[in-house]
Amino acid sequence: MPKSITIFTTNTCAYCVMVERFLDMKGLKYEIVNLDEQPELQQEVLEMSGALTVPITVVTKQDDSKEVVIGYNIPRLAPAVA
Amino acid sequence: MENNPVHDLVVIGAGPAALSAAVYTTREDIETLVLEKGVIGGLAAITDSVENYPGFPDGISGLELADRLRAQAERFGTKLEYGDVTKIENGSDVKKAYTADNKEYLAHTLLIATGNNYKRLEAEGEKEYYGKGVHYCATCDGPLYKGKRLVAVGGGNSAAQESLFLAKLVDHIDILIRKDQWRASDILVERIAKTPNITVHFNTEISQIVGEGNFVKRVVAKNNQTNQNVEFATDGVFVFIGLIPNTQFLAGSGIELDERGFVKTNEHLGTNILGIFCAGDVRSGATEQIASAVGEGATAALTIREYLDQVPARKHGDHPHRSMQTDSRTYSAA
Repeated sequence: MPKSITIFTTNTCAYCVMVERFLDMKGLKYEIVNLDEQPELQQEVLEMSGALTVPITVVTKQDDSKEVVIGYNIPRLAPAVA
Repeated sequence: MENNPVHDLVVIGAGPAALSAAVYTTREDIETLVLEKGVIGGLAAITDSVENYPGFPDGISGLELADRLRAQAERFGTKLEYGDVTKIENGSDVKKAYTADNKEYLAHTLLIATGNNYKRLEAEGEKEYYGKGVHYCATCDGPLYKGKRLVAVGGGNSAAQESLFLAKLVDHIDILIRKDQWRASDILVERIAKTPNITVHFNTEISQIVGEGNFVKRVVAKNNQTNQNVEFATDGVFVFIGLIPNTQFLAGSGIELDERGFVKTNEHLGTNILGIFCAGDVRSGATEQIASAVGEGATAALTIREYLDQVPARKHGDHPHRSMQTDSRTYSAA
């Protein structure tokens, strides 16, 4: 079980909704950061992920290590949040 | 595999054709499982605004339409699961679908409704800057370019529609079109012409995407009439140059494809393998319209209903006489 999950999204991103639904289905809580509303965080996301795209999901593990999942990528997201 | 149920129908894909079929089949008490590896609603879900789908005079966002289709299918009992189908097989008595996570799904019938995916440019720098300057989904990544300058590539409806969406966000867009005219519908072309922050460049083929570090800086293109190179300063490139069918998973399945890789069907949407059907944009001859895909989903569902009536293992009792003549081929247990 991760310590926390943050999803970086935009208002019109369908893939972001799919990530949210996947985490809902797993019963996991998450925080949404909307880059439409907080564009000043784009640079931070780029530095963290190496990608300027959404969704970006940041999974913080119990040991505070972070795993960054780019896009709607269930084969990577599922083990990251297990 | 023990305790692996045989579904009446497994639908591969969850776009408008798939969900429309599922609405029809589940209402007819045909147990239906939908497997999707991407977005519920398919490419329609990532379309900013759908203006030509009947019944919505003011248009509807692709995401909302997808949500409504999903809700309607689920209302009648459709089950949706994540599943990246990598292979199908025509077993002796059941069809099989295998997923990337090594699951095996059994079914009396399969419906291939996997739609299309975006075609890549194959230009230098495209792979290198994918997701950090090169994008295929305007509604996803367009908002990250507010106030910036973009290049959009393509001359069809998608290019026009998505460029109009991007133009509301960004400072300026250069649209590069390989041919000497639009393929997009007149109404969209007129809107483009009235949008002051869009400039259209015909006969222009992109050859290289150039960046520095994590950022795209410019694209190099060639005018195919004059052979002159031309450069466009840009912060990002959005590619809308057409679609390719999602049929890679059908390699070795025996399903007949056309020369472009789309699935061939008869007029009742049966493939060359009895019990395996196909609907929507992945079908050879499809019109790539949401309304058409929804219609094809309904047609496929009716054909599947007739087919299942003939499957002894699935028969629950006497079925009412079906007046509709569908797939004329006869089921054989052999």
